[in-house]
Amino acid sequence: MSTDARFAPGDWYAVVGEHVTVLLPGSQRDRVASLWELADSGASADAVLDALVAGGLSSLDHVALVAHGDDSTRLLVRGAPTATVVATEGEEIVSAAPGTTWAERLVTGVTSVRVTLTGDSDADHPLTPGIARVSVVEFGTPSAAAPAPPTEPVVAEPVEQPVAEPVAPVVAEPEPEPAAPMSFGEPEDDPTPTGETPVVEADDWSDRDGHTVTGPPAPDFDRPPIPGQEIAPEVVSQPVASLVFSTGDVVLVDRTVLVGRAPEARRFASHDQPHVVTVASPHQEISSTHLEIRPGAGADHGSAIATDLGSTNGTVLAQPGLDPEELKPGIAVSLVPGAVLDLGDGVTIQVTNP
Amino acid sequence: MRNVDLHHGAASDVGLVRTVNEDSYLVAPPVFVVADGMGGHSGGDVASQMVVEEFQRLAESYDPARGAEQVADTFARAQARIVDYGNAHRAMTPGWHAGTTAVVAVLVDDHGVAKWLLANLGDSRIYRITEGRLEQISVDHSVVQELIDAGQITAEQAATHPERHVITRALGSPEGIDPDFFLLPLGSVERLLLCSDGVTGMIEDKEIEDILETVADPRDAADKLVRAAVAAGGRDNATAIVVDVVGLVKDATYDSRRQLESLEHKLGGRL
Repeated sequence: MSTDARFAPGDWYAVVGEHVTVLLPGSQRDRVASLWELADSGASADAVLDALVAGGLSSLDHVALVAHGDDSTRLLVRGAPTATVVATEGEEIVSAAPGTTWAERLVTGVTSVRVTLTGDSDADHPLTPGIARVSVVEFGTPSAAAPAPPTEPVVAEPVEQPVAEPVAPVVAEPEPEPAAPMSFGEPEDDPTPTGETPVVEADDWSDRDGHTVTGPPAPDFDRPPIPGQEIAPEVVSQPVASLVFSTGDVVLVDRTVLVGRAPEARRFASHDQPHVVTVASPHQEISSTHLEIRPGAGADHGSAIATDLGSTNGTVLAQPGLDPEELKPGIAVSLVPGAVLDLGDGVTIQVTNP
Repeated sequence: MRNVDLHHGAASDVGLVRTVNEDSYLVAPPVFVVADGMGGHSGGDVASQMVVEEFQRLAESYDPARGAEQVADTFARAQARIVDYGNAHRAMTPGWHAGTTAVVAVLVDDHGVAKWLLANLGDSRIYRITEGRLEQISVDHSVVQELIDAGQITAEQAATHPERHVITRALGSPEGIDPDFFLLPLGSVERLLLCSDGVTGMIEDKEIEDILETVADPRDAADKLVRAAVAAGGRDNATAIVVDVVGLVKDATYDSRRQLESLEHKLGGRL
């Protein structure tokens, strides 16, 4: 089948690669950028599918995937999209039955595929590799289901129509990774009841709670760190730096220091309670928990390291002799004496020897 | 600290399946505790009661400026009592054990500013309402939570995992205790919920959020949460404490109006 493709404008995303096209609702913007990277690099349908479901299916209510092989076309739909496949053997409408994970087809001899996401508009814009906002996409010669006359040659499609949106703005805007210390499960991650019946024995143990039991000792359990967060250092005996705030506060870095408009400290042990430094931010430029500074470990032993915790407006670091740089969220940077951190709203922190 | 006014409510129910309520709770402002005992036959209920007794003792001589230290000491005393109690019983009944979860909320004085200090051991939970949304603060000490953290299972798989009720930290554990602590500004907590897994295992977070958002009086909210858990099947003891901070204005001004309205509402328009 020819891979000529067309679309009708809409609010879904079409991520169009050389071999694979993924269609996602407008709410799935976060997934689009990484999928485009894959699709653009010529990744196989399996690789794209892997990336697509890596974030979990529960957050992926609707999706369609069309992959063109040498002699067959693979089609996967989940949720709302429906696809009309015209092949030499006839026509088939593919949609996922309610309650099923998805519907998948591998069809040979395909002459056209029309995927309807919302509405049923004419797909008369040429679809080229890239990212487009679509409501209907069509591959190959228009199917009988398509309103466009099948005899109309593809080259006759109006070329002045807008083509796929430029990719750069979408790629350039991925949400920053949430700050590690605040990355806890969403409420919907909560395990839910399963309808199991607890064992209630009739002997003297009948009062036993059949649910909760203590686990076996697991001393060798390799407790993973919170993704993106280095293992928190122990409190160090000697402070590695002194922080002079523009507000006049002076704080020694002998343990983790959290700075923000209303900072929150999470999951610490009773012996390593962080210093929590609250700074005023009348213009809300400083995030509630904005910046972490703590004693370095390993290669950074003996110096203080700073991490922007995914703050809204960022943190600028000026190290002596270097151009000021914006801290990347979640990336720790070693501080030398004389460094100045700017949090916004006129609040700066100067790093000095303790 | 003196000008922090707390409104609170608590409820507990044995549920429809158990014959003994092994949950215990303490409401002794500014100290709040929920403990979910395990190991039947005078095990779990005694263990959770011991935690509550120790925190009751703390509340009687509580020094907010030394909050974190005092809570850690109280955990250690409760741990020692439960381990002793277990050892004594095991001498007569080999294999016998007693343990309990605990979630604790206390107000502390952090360099002159009142804050919430929260602590967690096990799979009882601490939630807050912030900006009108429910957020889980504590992270369960459970096998399934560790598997989720390690990326080995998803939250959906956790719900049906055979070891979903196995907790990895508890008071009474012979390996010792290692509670997680959390320090939150008062203004970031519009409403605080401490509850046992008899609540969170029976009703969805969405329903918890709806109840906490719509029921103004914390006593009614705690009641309604526990009744909802029982109505959903009541497979375990269910306990909830709901705490509202009233008489407090955040440092920021942008939401002070909303807070005032909420305060007015909570006080029945008598502001």
